[in-house]
Amino acid sequence: MFHSYLGKAQQIDFLLHSYLGKAQQIDFLFHSYLGKVKNDIKKIEFQKSNYIRHMSIKKPIWQQPWGYAESFTILFGILCIGFGFELVLPQTPSTLVFPINIILGSCLFVLIILYHFFFRKTKIHSFLSSIPLTISLISVLGILVIIMGILPQIPSGQNGLVQQLGFNQMTSSYPFLMINLFLLIILGFVSLKKTFPFKLKNWGFIFSHWGLWIVIFAGGLGSGDLRRLKMDVYEHKMEWRSYDEQNRYYEMPLAIKLNDFQIDEFNPKLAIVENESGELYEAQKPSMIMIEKGLVCDLQTWKVKVEEFYVTSGRAGNRYYKLSDFGAAPAAKVQVISAQNDTLKGWISCGSFNRPHESLKLNDELSLVMTVPEPKRFYSDVTFMTPDGKKRDVVLEVNKPVTVNGWKIYQLSYDDKMGRYSDKSILELVRDPWQPYVYLGVFMMMIGAIYMFWKGREAKIES
Amino acid sequence: MIWSNFIFVLLSSTLLWLLALVLYKKELLKRLFIILGITCIGAFIVFLWIKLERPPLRTLGETRLLYAFFLPVIGMITYMRWRYNWMLFYSLGLALLFLGINYIHPENYSKTLMPALQSPWFVPHVVVYIFAYAFLAASSLVAVRGLYQHYYKSLDRKVMLMADNLVYLGFAFLSLGLLFGALWAKEAWGHYWTWDPKETWAFITWLGYLIYIHRRYHMPNVFKSSLWILALAFVILLVCWFGVNYLPSAQFSVHTYS
Repeated sequence: MFHSYLGKAQQIDFLLHSYLGKAQQIDFLFHSYLGKVKNDIKKIEFQKSNYIRHMSIKKPIWQQPWGYAESFTILFGILCIGFGFELVLPQTPSTLVFPINIILGSCLFVLIILYHFFFRKTKIHSFLSSIPLTISLISVLGILVIIMGILPQIPSGQNGLVQQLGFNQMTSSYPFLMINLFLLIILGFVSLKKTFPFKLKNWGFIFSHWGLWIVIFAGGLGSGDLRRLKMDVYEHKMEWRSYDEQNRYYEMPLAIKLNDFQIDEFNPKLAIVENESGELYEAQKPSMIMIEKGLVCDLQTWKVKVEEFYVTSGRAGNRYYKLSDFGAAPAAKVQVISAQNDTLKGWISCGSFNRPHESLKLNDELSLVMTVPEPKRFYSDVTFMTPDGKKRDVVLEVNKPVTVNGWKIYQLSYDDKMGRYSDKSILELVRDPWQPYVYLGVFMMMIGAIYMFWKGREAKIES
Repeated sequence: MIWSNFIFVLLSSTLLWLLALVLYKKELLKRLFIILGITCIGAFIVFLWIKLERPPLRTLGETRLLYAFFLPVIGMITYMRWRYNWMLFYSLGLALLFLGINYIHPENYSKTLMPALQSPWFVPHVVVYIFAYAFLAASSLVAVRGLYQHYYKSLDRKVMLMADNLVYLGFAFLSLGLLFGALWAKEAWGHYWTWDPKETWAFITWLGYLIYIHRRYHMPNVFKSSLWILALAFVILLVCWFGVNYLPSAQFSVHTYS
């Protein structure tokens, strides 16, 4: 009994397995058919689009799905409105400052997110995050930037069409700002679409797109909060006021004492200028040669020999002597041989704020001169004092700013008429509370760029 | 001075690369001669660097020199990966062209370097750009070849694949160059971006290649328009590189090369 039952059970089990096997087969067949059908549909769609392209049958505009025609039309509309604003509204668009920028910015961000999650299935949303719109948007932005790249971006007294449309101050014109705002919205949708649902393989996309979004968002909103002031400090004096571009003075939460200001200069150069115009004579290059002791060189068609050279000197009688007085200027004794073998000798000097310059006349048209030395390095030895009683000694130099009490302090300039004898150092003080966020975006974009470099394009095509 | 040695570099590189062209079927010798030719230029750059006491990255002539160095380097790397002989010799030809221009127009290799450029960001910023320009120039050569094929033969998919890859690499470098520049500017002057004419045109170039990448991603099977976009993007790149100095907007640029 038991054995026969066991036998039947085994039979049933066998049958069951064979049915299961058949079901799996059917399932497999079904899936492969499904795959084939899907492929066929794709092929047909591709053929259809090819057909449409070749027969130049065009989809009527405003019929879904929207593409390039609709994108460019919409963007053209936005531009028209922007230029209209530019013509009608006053030309001083006020920049947003704290806290309005934060409020408006977060509203925009929340609206983008809400719209994305509530309307993500709609056709309009898939248009707003589509590549044709992206490409059109980049092109329109590109056109605006090309205009900016051709026309000088300086405020002008004239009031022609260029000025009225804001072409001479593009970055603060309405059309530019509106296109950027639209870009921010579209880029937000695109980034959200690729981020949710999250897939690990999209990380390069996510970094580059969100990075760019953060840079535009934080950089754009933060520009109003950026404070950029200048401070003139004089040797051995204390200063705590700085001024803006309109020369309004502000008291700073720090004081700066300039202990010493120093400039290292390159040696001056030899150059040939036209006597009448004073302009550089450049028949052939090299047209300027740096002076060194004992230098022998060819300058244009002349052979020049530097016999004596002093970095600081003063004239006494018919020659210069080494001297380190206030205002002492470089001077050199040169010998010049022309192409016709005429030899000329004389002293040249570029002079300084209190000494005259001296040149050597080569012929009726041209003279040999010494150029004013270019700065190699300039730096201020300063002491910072903050209200909490702390003192800090620092050397400020170009490219080496220092942060004190939330302000970043840059070496900007000096009294260039006085040159190396300047006792004035001009500093720039910058406060930019949004900087960390912009840096975050920049670093995300860098990661995105490295991803691009690493992956290239091949994988996608080959697969 | 330094300049008088340049003719030797030009002659030896030309000679070595001509030998490589003659022996282009002998794999080992070809590579050896090409690498030797590149080494000559590299040695000259090192020599110049020591002589000038600063990296030779400032004047237009110096950037051309670096371009003439990196273009064959990248041509060689691309050759190792893709085995395109024409690509290799195109890059060598271009490099020689740049060396020739430098020979005809000797630059003033002055020692002065303004304080604003004395920064650790300077070398990466420019070198990354040189790489980007070299990749993108190579991609535009590929685009021209693609367009030729499109109109006179049938387009080889491999060509498109190579253009894409070169643009991806070049675009990555271009983005890094822009971002390094922005970080440097922030550290040195307190601005990320001042819309200096050179920056503006660099941004336009970036947008041009951005359009190409999106177009390719969107329509991987449509070639003609993408190839034209790529060719046009290179024109913009050339404007950015040489043309900016001649535009009315360029009067106060910090990026003008003497």
